[in-house]
Amino acid sequence: MTTTRPIATARMYRRCLGAHLRAALEYEADFWILVVASIMMQATGVIFLGAVFARIPTLAGWTLAEVVLIYSLVVIAEGVGSLCFEGTWYLPWMVNQGDLDYTLVRPYPVVLQTMSGAVGLNGVGNLLTGGLLMAWSLSRVDVDWSPLRIALAVALFLSAVLIKLSVTLASTSACFWVFGASFMLPTALHQVGELAKYPVSVYSAGIRVALTVVIPFAFVSFYPAAAVLGHGQDSWVGLLTPLVAGYCVVVAGAVFRRGLRRYESSGN
Amino acid sequence: MAARAYLCMVKVSARTVLTYRANFVLGLFAVFFQLLAMLYVWRLLLESGKDFGGYTWPQMKAYLLVAFVTSSLVSAYGDFRMAARIRDGLVSLDLVKPVTYQTARFAETVGRAALELAVTFAVAGSIALVTGGIPVPDLPQLLLFAVSIAAVVPLKFLVVYLSTLLCFWTQNYMGVAWARTSLVALLSGSLIPLVLLPSWLQTTAMLLPFASLTATPAAIYLGQATGGEALGLLLTQAGWVTVLWVAGRLVWRFAVRQLTVHGG
Amino acid sequence: MPAATMAVMPVIEARELTKVFRRPDKSEGLRGSLRHLVTRRYTTTSAVDHVSLSIEPGEAVAYVGPNGAGKSTTVKLLSGILVPTSGEVVVGGIVPHRDRIANARQVGVLFGQRTQLWWDLPVRESLALLRDMYGIGPADYRAQLARFDEVLELGELLPVTARKLSLGQRMRADLAAALLHRPGIVYLDEPTIGLDIAVKDRVRDFLRRLVADGTTLILTTHDLGDIEDVCRRIAIIDGGRIIYDGGLDGVKDTFARERCMHVRLTTDVDPQSVAALLPDAEVTPGGSPGEFTIRFDRFVLTAGQVIATASSLAEIDDLLIDEPAIEDVVRKVYSGELELEPAEDGVGAGVGA
Repeated sequence: MTTTRPIATARMYRRCLGAHLRAALEYEADFWILVVASIMMQATGVIFLGAVFARIPTLAGWTLAEVVLIYSLVVIAEGVGSLCFEGTWYLPWMVNQGDLDYTLVRPYPVVLQTMSGAVGLNGVGNLLTGGLLMAWSLSRVDVDWSPLRIALAVALFLSAVLIKLSVTLASTSACFWVFGASFMLPTALHQVGELAKYPVSVYSAGIRVALTVVIPFAFVSFYPAAAVLGHGQDSWVGLLTPLVAGYCVVVAGAVFRRGLRRYESSGN
Repeated sequence: MAARAYLCMVKVSARTVLTYRANFVLGLFAVFFQLLAMLYVWRLLLESGKDFGGYTWPQMKAYLLVAFVTSSLVSAYGDFRMAARIRDGLVSLDLVKPVTYQTARFAETVGRAALELAVTFAVAGSIALVTGGIPVPDLPQLLLFAVSIAAVVPLKFLVVYLSTLLCFWTQNYMGVAWARTSLVALLSGSLIPLVLLPSWLQTTAMLLPFASLTATPAAIYLGQATGGEALGLLLTQAGWVTVLWVAGRLVWRFAVRQLTVHGG
Repeated sequence: MPAATMAVMPVIEARELTKVFRRPDKSEGLRGSLRHLVTRRYTTTSAVDHVSLSIEPGEAVAYVGPNGAGKSTTVKLLSGILVPTSGEVVVGGIVPHRDRIANARQVGVLFGQRTQLWWDLPVRESLALLRDMYGIGPADYRAQLARFDEVLELGELLPVTARKLSLGQRMRADLAAALLHRPGIVYLDEPTIGLDIAVKDRVRDFLRRLVADGTTLILTTHDLGDIEDVCRRIAIIDGGRIIYDGGLDGVKDTFARERCMHVRLTTDVDPQSVAALLPDAEVTPGGSPGEFTIRFDRFVLTAGQVIATASSLAEIDDLLIDEPAIEDVVRKVYSGELELEPAEDGVGAGVGA
């Protein structure tokens, strides 16, 4: 097996993740608490949408089913992040403790060893809720499902997840530069991402630009959803999602690599 | 003698509040972005001219800001430390101290609450100014509001405290905290005014202590409850504080018995 | 000895290796952090300062020095964990920090203070993950596990979750993890810390066999037994600089400057009179009259001078000079008492026994 080959690399990632998943599942009560809690968290947002749309037909021109699609994309991206890439969140801690040492002397990319280093079981709840919401939404929206459109949806939604993951990685990588605040920045950015649960057209121009260009959270949910639904004249912007994803992945990777060169281990 | 010990804890906690500032700011951040999203969504909704429980845009702004304050209070993560001490068995060291555990934790909460109140009110006030102001009630009503906010501190402490005690039975406090946050958001009215929820949820919320956390201060601030009705709401808050305080003591006693039986 | 034979290519080559750490110069608390944002002042420390090392295949080198001297930092530079501030390092033809994955395949690393096992996983799972990462075949894997079971009694540890292991158990499992892929170059930082004597002996035996099979070993340790059992070359680092690099036997010639002579004279002589004649030495009376122990610095007095002085008082009946022990030297190295000037005599660097 050569780890330079993508398939072998992916298989190794699954192996690491699988081992941690098995370990995590040993505490059955924890599993249920986390799954139920994460479902509850997402459910409150859905109840809010339900209560609002019980009184109006559309929000900024978006129907309930369409808003639910936007909402579900954020929930799913968070779910994938928790279930498969939870280790990213532990990077500041690992850097602080010098726990990156051994990952640097193993023949597997450091970034993948880090990302696969933990499993967030709450991701199961998020994926369940997000999947159900998306299924419900897609069954209600007025879209002509040609094979091309299905392929487009898959490509855009996968890109959306990549964007969310890249932002998380880039923000946790800040820990290579700033020590004290490094635990706060990723979580704070994650909170900004909550804004993307609603159509960005509800926000002021400044926030809209920030969510599009500065930290492209709008490409996690709003733009890809608009493109798939063919919603509005600007729906073509969503077609850029894979490009934005590629850009984000490259930037996050570069930030991580640059940071790694500054890694100082610990005990000095 | 004991009272002086608790007073000392209040002071110490107030002084060490800065060590928790990262967590506090983080918690504030989380609530802040939710607030931001809500402000924009509600402005749009109310501009549509549809009826949302009779709220005008300035009133809704005031409601959301009150909800922001009540959601940010008692969130300085003293509960995570308590949960960790329970999980690691260190809590047995707290048992031998000559103070009541619950009162001691409450004293710490009070110590932090002063700064939390100052910061959250400053943030809320700034937002109110930036967004074009909110209605301000007259002085008597404002006093009633102050009392209801003061009552939120022990009440929220008790909700957090009781849920943290669950750590005697489960390892995973993260999940417990998330579930509690969701439940409180939904049933306190901080997510959306209770009148806009389906009636069965409204009834549930009214029968539980959660409505006293946000819906009560908001109703008093907006003048939806005045005079006798407002006093009734404050009495309800006091009632829940009493009930939950006793419940906390009972659960604690039960939990500790379990701890000593199983040897922590 | 290495330095003399130029024909063999070194497998580890470090030239003028330097690592400077930059620490923000700020006071505690929020105010300190804010002030730092404005002033941006840093203090720099050279943890490793122009270190050059040349190690040939199959050599076992003990790397010692007081705490904070730069031992671990050197190991981290050689293994590619840290990027050097300046200088060069080439290991097996690879620059470790530039081509980490290729480097990882040829080296094994163990930091005794820290485990590489996954905290929540049973040892067996951790080893299986490493097996897959290194692409070790099933037959080879089985053979390795059997080997580790024989030397380290690994078998009983396999089903145990890493966080439940005792320190000694953890170290055994960590050794297996570090050596699983049969690395040709091994860096061990305190590998016997916390082990009981029996296991320690087995580990040393295992390391000896490893070296005999041609593995290159750099061993950082506080344990003199490890050094004497496994290594023939020793490098001493202090304050980020290498102050000695050569044969183990050469160390005592270089650094053991204190000599201890036991003298028995035929007649009873007052110790005071001996001391009066040897003001630079420390004279203590022995068990019976006419017996003395004389301690002196061999750079101040020669043995001949001491004997001449003693024999001027009475005839020498018996004489014994204590063999200087490496142990004493290394202990002094660790306690930071080592004095440096002899290195200038040319006895030091690179000269073997």
